[in-house]
Amino acid sequence: MELNNQYWKGIEEAEGQPEFVQTKGNEFHEALPLEDVLNATDLDLSSNRRDFLKFFGFSVSAVALAACQKVPVKYAIPYVVKPQGVTPGNANYYASTCLGCNTGCGVLVKTREGRPIKMDGNPLSPISKGALCATGQASILSLYDINRLANPLIDGKEEQDWTKLDTDIISKLGSIVSANGGIRIVTKTSNSPSFDKAVVAFKAKYPTAEVVTYDPISYSGILLANEQSFGKKVLPSYNFDKAEIIVSFGADFLGTWISPVEFTKQWVTNRNPKGGKMSKHYQFESTLSLTGTNADVRVPMRESKEGIYLISLYNELAKLAGTSQLPVKQNAELAGNAIKNSAKELFAAKGKSLVVSKSNNTNNQILVNGINIMLGNYGTTIDLNNYSNQSKFVEADFEKFVSELSSGSVKGVIFVGANPVYSYYNSAKLADGLKKAKLVVSTADQKDETSDLAGYVCPDNHYLESWGDAEPKAGVYSFTQPTISPVFNTRQAIESILLWAGTPAAAANAYEYIKSNWAADATIWNQSIHDGVYIKPSTIASVPSFASNLNEIATTLVANAPKGDEAELIVYQKVGVRDGAMANNPWLHEVPDPISKVCYDNYVSVSKTEADKKGLKQDDVINISVGGYSIKNVPVLIQPGQASGTYAIALGYGRTQSGKVGKDLGKNAYPFLKIANGTTSYNISGAVTIESTGDTYNLAQTQTHHTIEGRDYIREASLDEYNKNPYVRNEGKLDLVSLWEEYDYSNGHKWGMAIDLNACTGCGACVVSCHIENNVPVVGREEIRLRREMHWIRIDRYYSFYTPNEYLTKEDDINKENTDVYDNIRVVHAPVMCQHCSHAPCETVCPVLATTHSSEGLNQMTYNRCIGTKYCGNNCPYKVRRFNWFRYNDNDKFDYHFNNDLGKMVINPDVTVRTRGVMEKCSFCIQRIQAGKLSAKRENRKVQDGEVKTACMSACPSNAIVFGDMNDPNSEISKLYKNERSYHMLEEVGIKPSVSYMTKIRNVESNHKSTEHHS
Amino acid sequence: MLKYLNSRRNTAAFISVLAASTALVAQDSAAVSGEKPSLFYTDTTFVIVLLLCLLFMVIAYFLYRVKSHLDKIIDENTEGGRELTRYERVIKPWLRTLNPTVASLLIGTIFGLTAFVQAYKFGITEVGVQKGYSPTQPIAFSHKIHAGKLQMDCKYCHSTSDKSKQASIPSANTCMNCHKYTTLRDRYNGQVSPEISKIYKAIGWDPESNSYIPNYKQKPIEWVRIHNLPDLAYFNHSQHVVAGKVECQTCHGPIQEMDKVYQFSSLQMNWCINCHKEKGIDLANNKYYEDLHKRLKIEGKSVYTVADNGGLECGKCHY
Repeated sequence: MELNNQYWKGIEEAEGQPEFVQTKGNEFHEALPLEDVLNATDLDLSSNRRDFLKFFGFSVSAVALAACQKVPVKYAIPYVVKPQGVTPGNANYYASTCLGCNTGCGVLVKTREGRPIKMDGNPLSPISKGALCATGQASILSLYDINRLANPLIDGKEEQDWTKLDTDIISKLGSIVSANGGIRIVTKTSNSPSFDKAVVAFKAKYPTAEVVTYDPISYSGILLANEQSFGKKVLPSYNFDKAEIIVSFGADFLGTWISPVEFTKQWVTNRNPKGGKMSKHYQFESTLSLTGTNADVRVPMRESKEGIYLISLYNELAKLAGTSQLPVKQNAELAGNAIKNSAKELFAAKGKSLVVSKSNNTNNQILVNGINIMLGNYGTTIDLNNYSNQSKFVEADFEKFVSELSSGSVKGVIFVGANPVYSYYNSAKLADGLKKAKLVVSTADQKDETSDLAGYVCPDNHYLESWGDAEPKAGVYSFTQPTISPVFNTRQAIESILLWAGTPAAAANAYEYIKSNWAADATIWNQSIHDGVYIKPSTIASVPSFASNLNEIATTLVANAPKGDEAELIVYQKVGVRDGAMANNPWLHEVPDPISKVCYDNYVSVSKTEADKKGLKQDDVINISVGGYSIKNVPVLIQPGQASGTYAIALGYGRTQSGKVGKDLGKNAYPFLKIANGTTSYNISGAVTIESTGDTYNLAQTQTHHTIEGRDYIREASLDEYNKNPYVRNEGKLDLVSLWEEYDYSNGHKWGMAIDLNACTGCGACVVSCHIENNVPVVGREEIRLRREMHWIRIDRYYSFYTPNEYLTKEDDINKENTDVYDNIRVVHAPVMCQHCSHAPCETVCPVLATTHSSEGLNQMTYNRCIGTKYCGNNCPYKVRRFNWFRYNDNDKFDYHFNNDLGKMVINPDVTVRTRGVMEKCSFCIQRIQAGKLSAKRENRKVQDGEVKTACMSACPSNAIVFGDMNDPNSEISKLYKNERSYHMLEEVGIKPSVSYMTKIRNVESNHKSTEHHS
Repeated sequence: MLKYLNSRRNTAAFISVLAASTALVAQDSAAVSGEKPSLFYTDTTFVIVLLLCLLFMVIAYFLYRVKSHLDKIIDENTEGGRELTRYERVIKPWLRTLNPTVASLLIGTIFGLTAFVQAYKFGITEVGVQKGYSPTQPIAFSHKIHAGKLQMDCKYCHSTSDKSKQASIPSANTCMNCHKYTTLRDRYNGQVSPEISKIYKAIGWDPESNSYIPNYKQKPIEWVRIHNLPDLAYFNHSQHVVAGKVECQTCHGPIQEMDKVYQFSSLQMNWCINCHKEKGIDLANNKYYEDLHKRLKIEGKSVYTVADNGGLECGKCHY
């Protein structure tokens, strides 16, 4: 074992598998093909030389001739009438709302000369609070997706003329109503007041019409539980910022659960150990989720047994409170007495704690409600008065719709933003039912599984081309405004609904219609469109009265809990791809999964123990079947930290009708879902059958790319250690003697960055943001396998072994023969980008001075000088330099929207598009630095702290990245540099990086005897 | 003189072939871009030049043959041969004393070096450098009249030069601010000036009724771009106009005297760099530089150039 600290990136590294050890030191994945060249059969050197001369002569003359070409004539075409407010060359920002999912994050859309090129969170939005997740960031590319429908379709044929469709649809709707046939508008959760009003108009014209809400991901367990407990069928607002103790049963609230950006912003407010206090976060879960990786205490738990653990927690709390316990024989307990410990702490923090659960089982959620009531969390950390509208889907309505469709009583269906034929578990039944309908309309903007079965496809605008309003949370209104004219011949769904409802065309115009709904107060409208949000004063949170019989529920839960230890399958959402609606967005596939670091595919993940038991190895291809559905030929991924006895597969893959990127990518796991007691179940227990096919499939996994050879990158300590000594693991600053002359940074700025490992959740928003800002190409699965991903910022995910009640377990103490050790792990996420070293090793080896140092501390990369020796990449200790192996933007082998004119519209005009054969790397967003300095100079003032933000910083939902001028003593970055937790990666090499990291502090007791730390 | 021509014939032929192929390539590119800014670069020029070259070479060859015949005749008819030329008397015997290998290598090296230097000079000063480029524009707009005679501020039309990266070519509605009224009918027998009516055509203005034509399909004016920086170089006008306080004429030349605009500066990197090396920054009058100004005052440094401020670093323009 060559590791000299306790961190490892993958099992291959932890076990020291021979293949890994052999290749980890290589700069490039594949060996140079020297052998092939030397062993070539054609060893006739004279002929080789002649060929060489021929090629040489040809290239020289070709170059000579090419050089003689005249420069092509370029044109400068101004506006005929310049729109007010547009300054060519300067960006305009518009407040809008991201509709990448149902969360309703407020965004600021950056447009250049009329095309949106980047989105950041809107600081005024109470949901996004100025940040945006990876999915939201990436959704801008869906606007420029060449696979969008250019025209409406009638029976699959393009039709330019909307009036023809409207006439057809209106007459068919009319005939359906006159025959008393049902009409259903199937829509994803709508929280738009205007849309709801339009539907009312539609229902007035067609009395048999009804609205059915359908979301691919269901939170109906919470909705129904709240209905039973409190008489309110709503999702509550959670306030993680007010919680000192958080216990989450599988809820991935930092990654995918309900409103991740909002929750991350809240969660991180209590994660700063300064002042000696931070929140404590317990996570009990089966799969290793993003939230689990960030928890202080994470304990693997079988999801199917969640109910009995909830009962235990309830009983432990009841014991402490002295109230009656639920009737069970014995309280179940998790490893390390996690339930008992968390109960103690929850009880101590009554009213300032929060228990959440991922489970979609109504009974589980009622029990969670009961626990939170007992803890007095309603009115503080849980707010039912200012509820959330982010999901309203209840399965019963949709089940009824499907059976009505099958029975033939529903004759007309209009799908608005919903694609149930893909994501409904029984899509065959739905598809059959649709065949019986007289009229099927879809507003899909791309060909999808549902629109494929629709006679009429009336493509909706992308949300960046649309007007809209939304009320994601009670009293919080978020507005959508267009930032570009519709690219294709599309029409907003709300307009279609209104026109079919007989509204005159002028009034059905989306802008006029939505504005008229807000006509009561014109000032609200104008100000709200400017701000993007309008917030009504919130209602005061109160404690609702709780009315559920918990004893009864406990009995049911115990009765339904699995008796034995049979395997179960967990179906989950991945960060990024989420429910699969944006499957055709290559940015989402290119960004590695935060946990598994796999790109482009889904897989069955299993724990090491389970894999050993079943004889499975990483990359084995298996067939898996549960409950009558099976997926064939799916690769296996061995996931440390997963509860043994569980298998997991991600939703959102296996689209059969999508664009060129998303089609047939991965396997569809939706059909595994089942409805139990009226709600969708995301864990399927029952006989999980695994059948090995004998094949292997190479997953494009970046986890050990750019490996660090076990060097000391990460520092981590427990809260009590930190409280005793804030410099813990960070003592003894190195006083290195330098062979190099110091640079003089005193004339202007010295840019620096600080990354708080304690705040970083690893969500990947920064990766996508950087991708967009810096025109980073998408390289695709095959290139990633060859370690050729181009991301300028990567998030290293490190595992470390963990035994409950032990902090920092020393590797020597771990008996790796016992595979159980891989089930209990801890995780640290560390974003790594170019560290802009003062004595940069890359600079000294460049033979052509293509990478140089600036007086502001930046390590500059000059593409037009670079000749592609790759020496710099080789000499970089952080492995952050990326080589352009191809001309990705003009090569049809990289068919990821970057190779066509429409996809190129998203390119940031301030950043060069790199060509083949040059190195590139993080520039600290130098284009933003230059722009920030320039506006200060133009406005005759100094650069304000926080004025220049890098793309990663502006996207980060957890404020983990801070960028600024270290020459300004009052800047946040200067203060952070003086922070006790601040350290540099590889400080001992003496290269003086400009990026500082801050020790990760976990809120746990350390009862080990001062573990010797490598540094 | 003609004597050399024979030995150089091959070279000449080669050069002409090269010239012809260059011409063809040039034509191709011209055809692609669909633009003929220079009279010299017409489709047939190179063919004519090529044919002329061939014709002259044939004539030269014949003249050489005639001369050598005549020399022979003179030789035969003169007693003791004709009087030898200086070349035959002095240089030829001397050449024979030389080692042929060394001599040819030497001559080759001299020729090679000269050719290389010339090619290098050509490459660095000519290829892609459009200094003096003065294409015909869709409207014969005269800066001499507007900026010179009428003394209009540059920023009236190029209104974003102090705000943005681009100085921006004015949109047609800016022209209309004046040209709604200025039609120059007095000079064109009561008709609107043909150049001004091109603006009207673009924006849809009816000069007879003095009103915009409703529902007119507007067509932008497609100006030929004169100053072309490569995409890899970032240039910001406002940086130079506002922060740098550079006059427009410093880079664009005596624009107020130009009837037809031409590219005044080479726009090559050394041109940028030279200016950055010489141009001082006005630290005193910009609060951005406040701290630096204070410090330099103490240090007694009075001149602080753009280069001192890091203006020669790659990353300032290339990113």
